[in-house]
Amino acid sequence: MNRNSIKQICINLFLIVLAFTVQTCVFPLIPVLSAGPNLMLILVFSFGFIRGSRSGIGYGLVGGLLTDLSSGGALGFHTLIFMWIGYVNGIATKYYYEDYITLPLVLCVLNELAYNLYLYVFGFLVRGRLNFGYYLVNIILPETIFTVVTTLLLYRLFLFISRKLEEIEKRRDTTIV
Amino acid sequence: MKNTRYFLFGLSAVCICMIGITTLNSPLVNPIRNAVGYVLVPIQAGINTVGSRMYQGMADVGKLKMALEENERLKAQVDGLMEENTRLRAEQFELERLRSLYELDQEYMQYEKIGARIIAKDSGAWFSVFRIDKGADDGIRENMNVIAGGGLVGIVTDVGANYATVRAIIDDSSQVSAMAQQSGDTCIVSGDLQLFREGRLALSYMEKDDDIKDGDMIVTSNISEKFLPGILIGYATDIEIDYNDNLSKSGYVIPAARFDRLQEVLIITKLKDVEPEADE
Repeated sequence: MNRNSIKQICINLFLIVLAFTVQTCVFPLIPVLSAGPNLMLILVFSFGFIRGSRSGIGYGLVGGLLTDLSSGGALGFHTLIFMWIGYVNGIATKYYYEDYITLPLVLCVLNELAYNLYLYVFGFLVRGRLNFGYYLVNIILPETIFTVVTTLLLYRLFLFISRKLEEIEKRRDTTIV
Repeated sequence: MKNTRYFLFGLSAVCICMIGITTLNSPLVNPIRNAVGYVLVPIQAGINTVGSRMYQGMADVGKLKMALEENERLKAQVDGLMEENTRLRAEQFELERLRSLYELDQEYMQYEKIGARIIAKDSGAWFSVFRIDKGADDGIRENMNVIAGGGLVGIVTDVGANYATVRAIIDDSSQVSAMAQQSGDTCIVSGDLQLFREGRLALSYMEKDDDIKDGDMIVTSNISEKFLPGILIGYATDIEIDYNDNLSKSGYVIPAARFDRLQEVLIITKLKDVEPEADE
């Protein structure tokens, strides 16, 4: 472990914790927002998409564990879906092209749907709540819309951060060689 | 690439095992939760404070104008209320005297309570679970009842050293054994995501002949395993006989606590004596 990789890990951890606290502590304060954007999901999927499957899994693992440990439910429930989202979006990284925003937005919608479907099936359907249409219109769609809009705003910022992280990495490589 | 895939499958298997283990035996991971809580809770509390200050600041400016108009109106009302207050106070004294005379049960008023602030809510709109800034160090224990605004809010499901997790009675998986205060007939109040968006909880498992009418006070029942008796949940409404079996009644409860703007809650530190059993 040299100093640069520690720095990288710290920046990544900081981003995840920041996203998590803003999502759980600040968004609920704003009463106009009946639904809030899912920052954690944006973080996991965009870093998976920009930096590849391996980063995606890493982000999903840490972000999911954080969500699980604070929600008091079964440990691993969120971790599982976040890891897979990171991995699957990492596969799409071969179509990654800087400054190209359409694909990330499409991915965002698909991720939101997959994530909420997972929560619905294992949190609600298993207890016999069959009225999926209601949940789709009242919970899934508002959250998806908020998340897509937030992605539009945050994606460039993440690109910038990711580029900075890559620079740190390159610097490390040259020092090793 | 192949390594990544094995890594993912390995971790997924671990996750699934953990879900299984923690569903059956949740105290197992409490040390980890505690450790994370030590780091996270101060951050959450800080951000929560900053966030709410900022929001308050913005909201205050908007409210100022309304407040001025309201002030005028309220001044007039104060005079009227002052007079009424004097009259009511006299009646209150009389009530207290009569109460001690009849030794009425005032237990609900006498529960020891601890105040706590809500510092985080569950991400997303699916679950109604929140986190408060008091934990085992402040004397909070699992299964303690949480109230606010005179009504039942929820129950502590998970306690760390400096935080506790509360599941609200409006959560989709919440069920509370309840009764009508006047008649003592028992029923079940259950949370439902869909109903709560209409501001209601479901009220069920009443016999056809039970004396529960619209507007009756619904309180926690004596036979509940985890909830102390006599805490106000809300008011019954739209009670109807189920026409598919014609034997039972069901309806809705309008909760007494206001869940949309909860910021502070009270935790009753007295636990129900009955041995706690499995959740629901």
